[in-house]
Amino acid sequence: MEGSLNVLAAAIAFGVGAISPALAVGNVAGKAIEGMARQPEMAGKIQTTMFIGMALAEAIALLGFVLAFVLQAA
Amino acid sequence: MDKLGYEVEKLLHHLEPVGLDGHHLEGTFALSNYTFYLVIALFLTLLFFVFAARKASLVPKGFGNLAETGVEFVRNSIVSDVMGPEGLKYLPFMVTVFFFVLFNNLLGLVPGGLPGTGTVGTTFTWGLFVFLTYNFIGFQKNGIAYLKSFIPSGTPWWLQPLILLLEVVSHLLRPFTLGVRLYANMYAGHIILGVFVIFIKIVFDQITAGGLVVASLSFVMLILMYAFELFVAFIQAYVFTILTAVYISGALHAADH
Repeated sequence: MEGSLNVLAAAIAFGVGAISPALAVGNVAGKAIEGMARQPEMAGKIQTTMFIGMALAEAIALLGFVLAFVLQAA
Repeated sequence: MDKLGYEVEKLLHHLEPVGLDGHHLEGTFALSNYTFYLVIALFLTLLFFVFAARKASLVPKGFGNLAETGVEFVRNSIVSDVMGPEGLKYLPFMVTVFFFVLFNNLLGLVPGGLPGTGTVGTTFTWGLFVFLTYNFIGFQKNGIAYLKSFIPSGTPWWLQPLILLLEVVSHLLRPFTLGVRLYANMYAGHIILGVFVIFIKIVFDQITAGGLVVASLSFVMLILMYAFELFVAFIQAYVFTILTAVYISGALHAADH
């Protein structure tokens, strides 16, 4: 019974923790497309910055991913 | 439902690192099956560039052309874009990082192969290496003034301890996020491919009409996800390299702000 509670905690930690990074990554991509559509000549630079922004937002989801593993093992 | 759980358990067990002799790992520095693919990727990276450079000419053909496209991609869209002209000094390092990560990721997509990046220990070590590299470059370039970059100039004195704490924590988190991002993407990708294979396998053990629909859908998804994983292998190599470039660039220009 204790083990299954750990699994539930891990699932919640990752599931809830992934909501805000998902919104953030979507926002970054959307704004980047907007920027590229307005100024196609800047597309290369915008794309580079977009990937950096996505990677930084994704880091928060990854912390949840690690936490899920830790909770499952605990 | 029990069957699914059993098969998933088997898949996860298959992805665990085991010793080269097929037994469990013993000791901290034991060689695992992942280490084996890591070494293969190392030799692939070496051979790729040795072969490409062997017949170097002004107008590259075939293999040399492929390698040159890769190097140019790293130079133009990673190093020049992020670090500017002074970053070209670090181009050899960045190209090595990009191709080593890429070959490791691609090895996981060879049937029967495993990605060298599929264990968190490996990728975290690389993150740690990048962390040491950019801090070293920061001190080398700016001397002790590098430490001042942890507190941006113009910060009110009462905010300075808080900013310093936040900066230090964010720097210390960088090797973790670098490593875990790469590992999580590779590991999760393999589990997804494996789960679709398990769906197909379960249906073929006990064929039903509904099961055949699931199996054919899973087959289509398997092919699509395989293509997507190929894309992810490139994207993750790109992201790892570009973040390395961003960190080094931040260390280079630490004294400016």
